[in-house]
Amino acid sequence: MQKLSSVLLVDDDQTTNYLNQLLLNRLGVTSELLVATNGQEALGLLEEHCQGATTDCPALILLDVKMPVLDGFGFLAAYDLLPLPEKQAIIIVMLTTSLHPQDVDRVGKLNIAGFLNKPLTEEKINTVLHNHFNRSLPTA
Amino acid sequence: MSEDRPTSAALARENEELRYQLEEAQELIHAIRTGAVDALAVQGAEGPRIFTLQGADQGYRTLIEEMNEGALLLTEDATVLYCNACLAGLMGRPLSELIGSAFDEFVPPASKEYWAGLMLRGWGGKSKGELLLQTKAGALVPFSVSMNMLQFNETPTLAVIVTDLSAQREITAIRAQVAEQNALLDRKTQALKREEAARLVVERAAAEASRMLEGISQIAWTTNALGEHTYRNRRWYDYIGQQQGQGPAAEQSWRQRLHPDDAAPTLARWQQSLQTGQPYEVECRIRNAQGDYRWMLGRALPSRNEQGEVMQWIGTYTDIHEHRLALERIDHGQRQLRDNNEQLTRVNVDLDNFIYTASHDLKAPISNIEGLLHALLVELPPATVQTEPVQPILHLMQDSVNRFKRTIEHLTDVSKLQKEHGLPTQPVGLAGIIHDVRLDLEPLVQAAGARLDVDVAAVPTVLFSEKNLRSVVFNLLSNALKYRDPGRPPHVRVRARSEAEYMVLEVEDNGLGLDAHNEQRLFGMFQRFHDHVEGSGIGLYMVKKMIENAGGRIEVSSRLGVGTTFSVYFVR
Repeated sequence: MQKLSSVLLVDDDQTTNYLNQLLLNRLGVTSELLVATNGQEALGLLEEHCQGATTDCPALILLDVKMPVLDGFGFLAAYDLLPLPEKQAIIIVMLTTSLHPQDVDRVGKLNIAGFLNKPLTEEKINTVLHNHFNRSLPTA
Repeated sequence: MSEDRPTSAALARENEELRYQLEEAQELIHAIRTGAVDALAVQGAEGPRIFTLQGADQGYRTLIEEMNEGALLLTEDATVLYCNACLAGLMGRPLSELIGSAFDEFVPPASKEYWAGLMLRGWGGKSKGELLLQTKAGALVPFSVSMNMLQFNETPTLAVIVTDLSAQREITAIRAQVAEQNALLDRKTQALKREEAARLVVERAAAEASRMLEGISQIAWTTNALGEHTYRNRRWYDYIGQQQGQGPAAEQSWRQRLHPDDAAPTLARWQQSLQTGQPYEVECRIRNAQGDYRWMLGRALPSRNEQGEVMQWIGTYTDIHEHRLALERIDHGQRQLRDNNEQLTRVNVDLDNFIYTASHDLKAPISNIEGLLHALLVELPPATVQTEPVQPILHLMQDSVNRFKRTIEHLTDVSKLQKEHGLPTQPVGLAGIIHDVRLDLEPLVQAAGARLDVDVAAVPTVLFSEKNLRSVVFNLLSNALKYRDPGRPPHVRVRARSEAEYMVLEVEDNGLGLDAHNEQRLFGMFQRFHDHVEGSGIGLYMVKKMIENAGGRIEVSSRLGVGTTFSVYFVR
């Protein structure tokens, strides 16, 4: 399977990031993993890696909802205003725990590829790769 | 005399004689006027004519002189032969000027003809009439005139009596005035009589009212139509601790005894009733003999006469102090209850939010722990994983994680249930649900050797959500089997009955039972009373929530060592 150029993990929980990193590395989804602990940091990383002739602009962003400084919703609002040349190619998937009905409504209205319930599993990653990148993990 | 010129002596003699005659005439006139002589000599063409008042009585003359009507005697040529002082007064001329004058000059032109007619008839014997005469001042004055022809020394004269009518007219006017005033007086007298009669009616009514009011157990009073007090019964004087009529009057008035906070509204109500005639009703505090204010219910009605006018007001004051205080206590209690309820509702909302947040926020760390555990398993050499004590430690860790996850799932279920308020209900077949649940529990029934009697024919359906009804029945039946007494085979009776407001489902077992102390805690979240039985402690909490969300309730009655009965009340 052709690896994704880069994946950005955004979650304030370092353990979650660590486990997700472990999983993605084990599955060989990407050669470049970027990690941010809140929306603000994620925006900074995007500006850094997606300007000019760089090749490591994330193809997939896994975004947590509840975060300090700038949460998932705040990140998406700011992201909409970012002048990024490769924006169309970036897939954003929100990772949530059980959703409050009010939040389900909110997520449904967002301009994102989809949302997944935590925790992230091999099966869920495979679904994302299949739906948005037209590729799948090698069967074990 | 032309031949022989009179001598100076003769002239003096003649002169002397004339003076004598003049003096004599003057004396005569004076004498006649004063009544000293009864004759009068008037110089006529054929010599002096003598008029004497022969036979006339001195008294009559005085009468004539003194009377209040004008009197005069006229000769045939209407010369005033005699007149009295009154006539002179009426005509406004001195007497001396009038006597010997022609009376015609007092008759104004418009009356001349009438006057001539009167004279003519008068000379014929008698005549009477009324006419205007002109006085010296020029004013025309109405007079009545009565004429009589009299023989005076064989000389006919006309005796005339002249009466000033203007005076009489004034009198007539005064009489009219008097009559009018008399009529007015009569009317006023009549009115006074009527008022007196009305007053008597009012007094009789008041007396009657006070006779009745004296005996009643409430404070009673009457006022007149203006609201001025006319009577207060004994109860009032007992209440204020004074004798009737003793002490200052103001001290006995209810107005002076009103609580300062009640005075304005109470007096306003009373004024309103006085103005409109509407019944008076008010609650107010009135000071008693001890100086304490007691709550009174004041009521008054107007009593009216036959014309519908308010004659008096009859009122009472009833002591409602205890009643009022009791009401206030109840009101206070209710307010407190309401406050407590509100507080409890807030606590409940907080608890709901807490459960949601807890179930939500605990999910991430527990799935992290599980993930880390799995990562560790991958990293550990397979040989190590199989050795003691790593293998049991890993196993217990996974077990704890699983239990943690299950608890969070229950919490999530509870928080979902809380959002279910107002979930649509429908008629659900009770017997069918019990049958299904029984099938699910069959292994447990078999294992326990339990006997299950179901008779729910009295209630074909209940209004509930099907999913929740299944959950309620499952929980109650599985509990009945789980908490069985090991000393006897389980016997579970499921019954249903219909009540006025509820459909009732009863599940009775012969299991372990609970003491009364634990009955209420039974429905609490995560309450477990028996550690030998697998249970989450959430089942009955969920059951209670579901039933209460649908407007029903659940009751339990239990005896330790005998058994437990759950009664579920579904609203109809």
